[in-house]
Amino acid sequence: MYVYRIMLFLVFGGYLLSPLLMNGWSDPEAAWYRPFVIWGGLIALTLWLEQKRKLDER
Amino acid sequence: MNVEMPVEIVGVLLLGLGYLALLFGCGFAVERGWVPVRITRHPIVYTLALGVYASAWAIYGSVEMAAHAGFGYLAYYLGAAGAFLLAPVLLVPIQRITRTYQLSSLADLFAFRFRSRWAGTLVTLVSLLAVLPLLGIQVQTLSEAINIVTASQAGGSIALLFCAVIAAFAVIFGARHSQSHGRHDTLLSAIAFESIVKLLAMLGLGAVALWMVFDGPGDLQLWLEGPGALLQQQTPKLDPAQWRTLLLLFFAAAFMMPHLFHISFSESLSRHTLLQASWALPLFLLLMALPVPLIWWAAQSVNTDIPIAAYAAYLMTEHWWVGALAFIGGLAAASGTMIMIALALSGMILNHIVLVARPPEARSDLYGWLLWLRRGLVVAVIIGGWLFYQWVGRHHGLIGLGLAAFVGMAQCLPGMLALLYWPGANRKGMVIGLIAGVGVWLWGLWLPLMLSLPVPTLPVTPLTDPGAPVWYNVTLLSLAVNILLLIVISLFTRISEGEQTAAEACSVDAVIRSKRFPLEAATASDFSTHLAHALGDEAASREVNRALQALNLTPQERRPYALRRLRDRIQANLSGLMGPSVARDIVDRYLPYRHDDTPETDDIHFVESRLEAYRSRLTGLARELDGLRRHHRQTLAYLPVGLCVLGDDDELLMWNQALSQLSGISGESVIGSRRDSLPAPWPRLLGSALEATPGPLYKQAVALHGRDYFLTLHKAILSGNDSRGGSVILIEDHTEMKWLEDELVHAARLASIGQLAAGVAHEIGNPITGISSLAQNLRYDTNDPALLETADQIQQLTQRVTKIVNSLVGFAHGGRQSVPIPASPVALASISEDALHLIHLARSGEDVILTNETPDDVVVRGDAQRLTQVMVNLLSNARDACDQGGEVHITAGCQGQLAWWRIVDNGQGIDPRVRDHLFEPFTTTKPAGEGTGLGLSLAYQIINEHQGKIDVASPPPGQPRGTAITLWLPLYQQDDQPTHAQDSDC
Repeated sequence: MYVYRIMLFLVFGGYLLSPLLMNGWSDPEAAWYRPFVIWGGLIALTLWLEQKRKLDER
Repeated sequence: MNVEMPVEIVGVLLLGLGYLALLFGCGFAVERGWVPVRITRHPIVYTLALGVYASAWAIYGSVEMAAHAGFGYLAYYLGAAGAFLLAPVLLVPIQRITRTYQLSSLADLFAFRFRSRWAGTLVTLVSLLAVLPLLGIQVQTLSEAINIVTASQAGGSIALLFCAVIAAFAVIFGARHSQSHGRHDTLLSAIAFESIVKLLAMLGLGAVALWMVFDGPGDLQLWLEGPGALLQQQTPKLDPAQWRTLLLLFFAAAFMMPHLFHISFSESLSRHTLLQASWALPLFLLLMALPVPLIWWAAQSVNTDIPIAAYAAYLMTEHWWVGALAFIGGLAAASGTMIMIALALSGMILNHIVLVARPPEARSDLYGWLLWLRRGLVVAVIIGGWLFYQWVGRHHGLIGLGLAAFVGMAQCLPGMLALLYWPGANRKGMVIGLIAGVGVWLWGLWLPLMLSLPVPTLPVTPLTDPGAPVWYNVTLLSLAVNILLLIVISLFTRISEGEQTAAEACSVDAVIRSKRFPLEAATASDFSTHLAHALGDEAASREVNRALQALNLTPQERRPYALRRLRDRIQANLSGLMGPSVARDIVDRYLPYRHDDTPETDDIHFVESRLEAYRSRLTGLARELDGLRRHHRQTLAYLPVGLCVLGDDDELLMWNQALSQLSGISGESVIGSRRDSLPAPWPRLLGSALEATPGPLYKQAVALHGRDYFLTLHKAILSGNDSRGGSVILIEDHTEMKWLEDELVHAARLASIGQLAAGVAHEIGNPITGISSLAQNLRYDTNDPALLETADQIQQLTQRVTKIVNSLVGFAHGGRQSVPIPASPVALASISEDALHLIHLARSGEDVILTNETPDDVVVRGDAQRLTQVMVNLLSNARDACDQGGEVHITAGCQGQLAWWRIVDNGQGIDPRVRDHLFEPFTTTKPAGEGTGLGLSLAYQIINEHQGKIDVASPPPGQPRGTAITLWLPLYQQDDQPTHAQDSDC
């Protein structure tokens, strides 16, 4: 359940803060791919948690 | 009249039909086994099949969304990614329920949880209404893309042709069997293939935009900072509240849309596969989303005035193959979505509308009837999508249609969350909440769309915003009404018992306390007879056999536990065939439980089997507790004493290994059966133990597998606050102890007789001495030769009696172990002779010929009386082993410093089972009361004390039968000094 709590925290935190992603569209200072980098980071984190869960279950 | 078809239309037809032919080829290749199973069943195929979420909306709708809301288009992808990131707490529990109860759709799940066929029907209707606009989008994107490519209005007709081919594919590869639940490798592989195609198409279009329209990322950045900056600043920005609402809609759609629910839960291989998709699907969606802004910016950089933003990909360049790439990507996305929606929705309509309106009758072709119904529905759904486009869709944009679909489907979200996390929610709350929410959706969004009505004025509430788009207000209002009614009505109305049970089965953290009742059907074969009334003979027999095979049971099965599992399995299988409502009705009606006076008890074995099945899913404290449970269970299972546990209703709950070995009955074959159905003598024996008050039943004589046993049974009643009732019985095998007790009694009797005999022998000594003296006197008193001879004979006979008496007394004293072994010379010949004298005293074995061939010169070092005892024991055994007329020979000889002394008989030989522990105490093959089992043990001990050893050969070398026992003893040497005088107490 520890892993699930992290996941819940991340998803609901991300849900609340996600409107910030939209600021990059009309901001010439921000790299256009910034939302995708954040998203990729989240996927990497999920992958890590999934590997950890698999190890825990062994 | 000859009408020539424009070359563009021919090209699109060839392209589209060519792609669909490739899809058929892919399907056939998988079906024929040309693609290895390790590929078709790989988790990545499942993840790619889940990519069906990226429908034509992802190819065209997202570009339109990006044009109107900037990065707001990401909501479509991030909502779905969020749902899959939450797979462990959201999707895995749903998968568990759908697998356990064979539920293949959202309607099945609702009908199962809320114990109402109408709940299933309602969800099916909502799904149908919500999915129609989504289907319309797929046809619309195809049709309009064709119109753009061909610069004509032939899109609608060509799209109909494509729809027909897609319907044929769905029927051939998706509706081959009547069962909707279960993985379709071919279909899944084809959908995965489509996902690869659309992903490659999108990445290709993105690459074209980045490197052909722009000159790479640097040029794009320059454009965004320069000419493009103004255009981007003109793009409306999505309000944060609207963004979050969109996320919620797509989150719900990701696992509740009929086609996604079907792939997520009916097709997934395992929990692991689903968890792998929790990161793999977001990655797929990331790659799908990445090219969208590139395409839009590339199109904007070429044409600042874009009439239909959705099809910006066609406006990026003049190259025909870029248009073809966009078309193939759109076709792949649309066809995959249409196939899966048609299959999923047809199953729902069949189970929850058609079969509810017209329940199946007992018919011989039940499976065929269901199959053709399903195929018809598949075709009808796809054609329905095309009709929706023709009548409604073509007049609206992709965003409006898509949002109408997603808002409608989100109405099931409150019920779904309650299903998983709130066991207190009930049918009334769910149905009324859903009807109210759907009512708001229909009135505010769907009907105005369908009938081209003006958008109604929504009531002003704290939730709604008069300036916000209508979809936003309708979403908030409908969900708020839905949730409020669900909570309030559920809190203030009662939940039925059946619903409570289903709620516990569905709930994530529920404590399931299954009750067990007996069934009306007494055997598994009765099931077929009863079910035939509903399904017909053939289908009933097939379903029962399928369930029996799955559970590894036989038609003769009578155990109540096994019959209950069979009933559950049949219900689950029928649920996959015709939905949970109809399946439950059939099973409840034709395979009912018997509610008689039997006490209601927990189905502990069922709970245990569930815990075993879900063991790998337990974490934290639950896992520790389960580990503790397994430890205690193993302690009982491997207890070296027989143990069985009976419920209050006399059902057997445990039968451990020791009891299995003792009884010869395996636990698996009897657990779950009634006490009275156990093989004899167990029903009587366990019944006696249960009735016995208060103490145990000692040494009950029973015959088990041809042998007599004496069993002691101890009983304890399981009671207390947390107890689930029943009794535990310990069964100890006291057969050996009983035998030992008998032997001890026998040995004690023999010992007392021996003492008596020694006393008698001692007493006889005096008169014999007197007789001998008198005979001696007689010799002095007469010269009569006849009397002298008589006196000699009397003296010889009295000497013989004295010798026998001395031997007997010596033997009686020989068992004293505390006396050290003297180093006296002992002639084996005289020992053999003494032993033979003693043996002849016994009445038995008189017809066995005993011969002593021991040479006189073999003299060993030792105690004559103890060696006599050894020889008596060995001779006694040898004589007992011989049949009538058998022979026993005693021989001896020298070999080096040792003497060998051998007793050879031609008797029955030694039983191989006792050979290994021949010299252990109480080892005997003689019937109880005839042998103590101590003779050889004593002999071994005495020879060991003499520093000798014993060899046993049975049969002896060169003989067909018999036994040769050879004693090896140290020869007497002249320098051996006697440590003690030989015991001469006689």
